[in-house]
Amino acid sequence: MKDRRQWGVGAGVLVLAAVLALGALDIPSAAGYAGVGPNFLPWVVAGGLAVCGVLLLREAFAAARAGAQAPTPPGPVCWRGLGWVSAGLLLNALLVTRLGFVLGCTVLFVCAARGFRLARGGGAPARTVALDTLVGVSLSAPAYWIFTKALGLTLPGLTATGWI
Amino acid sequence: MELWQQLLHGFATAATPINLVWAFVGCLIGTAVGVLPGIGPALAVAMLLPITTHVEATASMIMFAGIYYGAMYGGSTTSILLNTPGETGTMVTAMEGNLMAKHGRAGAALATAALGSFVAGTVATALVTLFAPGIAEYALRFGPPEYFALMMLAFVTVSAVLGQSTLRGLTSLFLGLALGLVGIDQITGSARYTLGVPELVDGIEVVLVAVGLFAVGEAMYGVLYEGRPSETRNRMSSIWMTRSDWRRSIPAWLRGTGLGFPFGTIPAGGTEIPTFLSYALEKRLSRHKEEFGTVGAIEGVAGPEAANNATVTAAMVPLLTLGIPTSTTAAIILSAFQNYGIQPGPTLFQTSATLVWALIASLYIGNVMLLVLNLPLVGLWVKLLNIPRPQLYAGILVFAALGVYGMRQSAFDLFLLFAIGLLGLAMRRFDFPTAPVIVGMILGPMAEAQMRNALSIGEGRWSVFFERPLAATILVVCLVVLVLPRVLRGRARSALQAAG
Repeated sequence: MKDRRQWGVGAGVLVLAAVLALGALDIPSAAGYAGVGPNFLPWVVAGGLAVCGVLLLREAFAAARAGAQAPTPPGPVCWRGLGWVSAGLLLNALLVTRLGFVLGCTVLFVCAARGFRLARGGGAPARTVALDTLVGVSLSAPAYWIFTKALGLTLPGLTATGWI
Repeated sequence: MELWQQLLHGFATAATPINLVWAFVGCLIGTAVGVLPGIGPALAVAMLLPITTHVEATASMIMFAGIYYGAMYGGSTTSILLNTPGETGTMVTAMEGNLMAKHGRAGAALATAALGSFVAGTVATALVTLFAPGIAEYALRFGPPEYFALMMLAFVTVSAVLGQSTLRGLTSLFLGLALGLVGIDQITGSARYTLGVPELVDGIEVVLVAVGLFAVGEAMYGVLYEGRPSETRNRMSSIWMTRSDWRRSIPAWLRGTGLGFPFGTIPAGGTEIPTFLSYALEKRLSRHKEEFGTVGAIEGVAGPEAANNATVTAAMVPLLTLGIPTSTTAAIILSAFQNYGIQPGPTLFQTSATLVWALIASLYIGNVMLLVLNLPLVGLWVKLLNIPRPQLYAGILVFAALGVYGMRQSAFDLFLLFAIGLLGLAMRRFDFPTAPVIVGMILGPMAEAQMRNALSIGEGRWSVFFERPLAATILVVCLVVLVLPRVLRGRARSALQAAG
């Protein structure tokens, strides 16, 4: 099982090389004086990745034959925690232009904090969520103000006042 | 004589109240960032890059330099007290310094680290002042073949040196080169790998990838695998070094500086080699060998910490004179320069003399500020560690999103950030080093342009790289860097077999 993952890494690198090579077919080869055109480096990179992929597979094969154990992760795996962190990042990306920066980032903060609490074996009672929301707002709002008011950067807001 | 005049001019610019404030802010943020586990200087600079659109170049460069230095000081604090090195350069400090802390000598370890950093930083800055202009003048004679060869050297050393295996390092490097391909080709203007997505035509921001790999990837790894950390903190003792501590530290600081500086100036990437070399040297020279690895020897903290800082400072030489970043943070500072339309390189000392000399002067000032900030305030910095992990990491993610969104105001970049985060998680899980990705992304397009220009000069003949002695020499060195470790390892193996 463990070794199959190492195989997967090599195979993934090979797939990536193939995708790059496929894309390189579409790049013009007009070379000019140099003798190499814009499609030269893409082919080099695709080739390099292919070689790396093959060597990684060989390494995995050798390790499997030697009966070596692939490195194990350091602790218990918490997919739910990762799910919450991912949800926070994706929700923020989806909502930032609609809800504004402050609220979007608060959503991110609350989701991510919840993910980490789950990973530590903690729950998320209403009180913690409320606290996280408060911390999230008091972190993203001043950051928003510093960047928009003091540095003149445009970040999306919920209202036209530029404070939320 | 001219040199001193320009340095004095630099001090005049750097010492204006507003620039002093920027330097102070940089040192403050840098130290805070260094103390907090999980955030390194590269990430901190990356998150603050959006300010380049609104702050004047000199001011922001002064601030970035402060962050860069400050993070090094802060990193040693956590390494010593918590045994959590923020980046590879402080690993040795963590080994020996944490042992000292466990045996009640945290104060002396912290003091020797801070003072050693100060000594190394100041000496190295003086060396930068003396040598950088000369190197820049010499580098003006470099043509595209020499530049291409230098970049190959950077590629090879970075991927061979970082991480456990050369194969994994090279894979990371190619991954970075692939990411760097996305966008418009610099020479002919044809689009590559844009998949019809308008956001991809401008290419992928290096900073986005750095933040994605370092911050988001780290956070994802942390939540997935390291939910329950077992950190024990050591109590602070007084920051007072005994006379014997001083006697043992001072030569170690100087030796560390001497080792670290040359490593920073060559495009060989990373602080690992000089810090480990310094550690080995101190162990060999020490009269207290029994303390190494048991109760913690003060030389083992003083030397590597000085080497670390000297390397970091010396990295300014290739960055300013050749435009080649030898560390991830230097790479991100390079992209900050590019945001201002300034290309670091041999001509920088002529075209942006005020900026360069103000930056160099601010390195001297920053070092003093950091010493003042660090010695008395260590207790305060350690309080930062009381922030609970869920909120710390959630906060890091918020700032990562802020930095990435702020650069281009594009929600697409936030999705991309998530994807790169997943990549970072996978790389961390399967032991692929992430720094070569960044180096590949930054140097890839530059190397490609230099290569094609060189080939144009040679009218398409590849021999152009071997006809010029300097370029040929550097390329041979590349080969040696790749081959030599294998040969040595093979020899050691056969020697072992012969013995066994």
